[in-house]
Amino acid sequence: MIEVIHPGWFSLIVDGGRYGYADYGVPSSAALDTFSYKMLNALLKNPSDAPAIEVIGNDFSLRIGTDMTCAITGAKVEAILSGELLQPWTSFRAQKGSILKVKSIFEGFRYYVGFSGTIGIEKIINSYSTNLECRFGGFKGRPLMKGDRFVLKEPREEKPDKIPVENIPDMKPPHVLRFLKGPEMKYFSPESLSRLFEKKASSWYNVSSKSNRTGIRLEGEPLVFKKDVEKSIISEGILPGTIQIPGDGLPIIMLHERTIGGYARLGVIIKADHDLLAHLKPKDAVMLEMVGPDL
Amino acid sequence: MEYQKYGEDGVRIVFGDAIDLVINENVRRYYSYLKSLNLKEVVDIMPSFSTCIIHFDSEAISFEKFVFYLTERESQINAFDIREPVIHEIPVVYGGSAGPDMGFVVSYTKLSEDEIIDLHTSTLYNVYTIGFMPGFPYLGTLDKRLYVPRLETPRVKVPKGSVGLAQLQTGIYTYESPGGWQIIGKTGAKLFDHTTEPYCLMNMGDKVRFVRA
Repeated sequence: MIEVIHPGWFSLIVDGGRYGYADYGVPSSAALDTFSYKMLNALLKNPSDAPAIEVIGNDFSLRIGTDMTCAITGAKVEAILSGELLQPWTSFRAQKGSILKVKSIFEGFRYYVGFSGTIGIEKIINSYSTNLECRFGGFKGRPLMKGDRFVLKEPREEKPDKIPVENIPDMKPPHVLRFLKGPEMKYFSPESLSRLFEKKASSWYNVSSKSNRTGIRLEGEPLVFKKDVEKSIISEGILPGTIQIPGDGLPIIMLHERTIGGYARLGVIIKADHDLLAHLKPKDAVMLEMVGPDL
Repeated sequence: MEYQKYGEDGVRIVFGDAIDLVINENVRRYYSYLKSLNLKEVVDIMPSFSTCIIHFDSEAISFEKFVFYLTERESQINAFDIREPVIHEIPVVYGGSAGPDMGFVVSYTKLSEDEIIDLHTSTLYNVYTIGFMPGFPYLGTLDKRLYVPRLETPRVKVPKGSVGLAQLQTGIYTYESPGGWQIIGKTGAKLFDHTTEPYCLMNMGDKVRFVRA
């Protein structure tokens, strides 16, 4: 048994994603930082699709009800297990009755907590991930709350392990996000695009506090539409990492919660930078850099 | 039909650039055929009004090879036996607390509530695509007299089952969610159930008729 003593600012159960049903409007709701999620399960010797907890904010705390191995990856945090300091991106043994607590985050935004064994929840449409908008999957379809308890099926004790420091990605702002040209890049005025590509102070954006798990909103110089184009498109499919530009010209980077969109798509963040999207905090400075053969 | 690159792991197939039944049927035919192949390289397919986006596994196949494969099979698509559309009858309670925007629609269209309901229930709509939320059908085309803009400020909460209008489309909210469509009624029909397969009541290309509950 594992009990949530404090859920942090926000925590929920995720896995690698709910794929294969986008034609029915079902988004993947996947863990936002794939590498951290995969390394978590590797440290724990878990199957690659085991459920994990994705957390934002400090004070996240659990009571461990069985002897097991735990691990934390993602944002670099200062965590303690019954008084003892833990290193980031390591697995560690936790005894029955011990308390795991994340005191502070010193780099990055989202971190992943997992256990050797399987969190006792059912898969919904082939996935453990929480679809927050529709309230299904994960733990009762909702974020974790104080007092929640879940079973750990087949808990194991594995040898403590660590990911070498040089393999832990850099998550410090300012962030440079590289992107490939999107289907509607031609909707924007050449002056507006060249301003974006100048890489001057004015082409930096800031992450808006209105960002959420559906999309990251950026604040700064708005993109300007050409005079003769419609500001929206006939709704069509979108992929994770798509940079949508609504009528106000301010970019929204779509994550894993939408299959269809009606806004112009300036570009698509390259896959190598997708995990970084999980670590964009409100106010962080962000630059969009176009790459690729279409430059 | 044109194949375009969309990011590193997307193919965007363009069938046209309009909300049109013939174009949409071509998208549906392509999507149905592709889905029947059950390719392990295909992660997800997102067919919509006039395009079909394929999310493929770029670690398993390159864009170029994948498009080559798709192009080679184009001739088989027309021979593919496509599923007959199903006609769904959806009962709706119109106006009152079930349709908080009926008053606006009356004043915008200058029609009476009865005329609006008669128009809304007299068209057999096409399911152009499903998305925005699981099971949400984008239905068209609405009678031109029912054209209304979206809400200027989207509602924070639109109840599940709400039936809305936006420009020349009508749709059904399958989950409570924020939204900007003008809500004229509500249905108790279950369009999506994440607990039981098949999860989704409708398929792209199905037809919908609304009836007074």
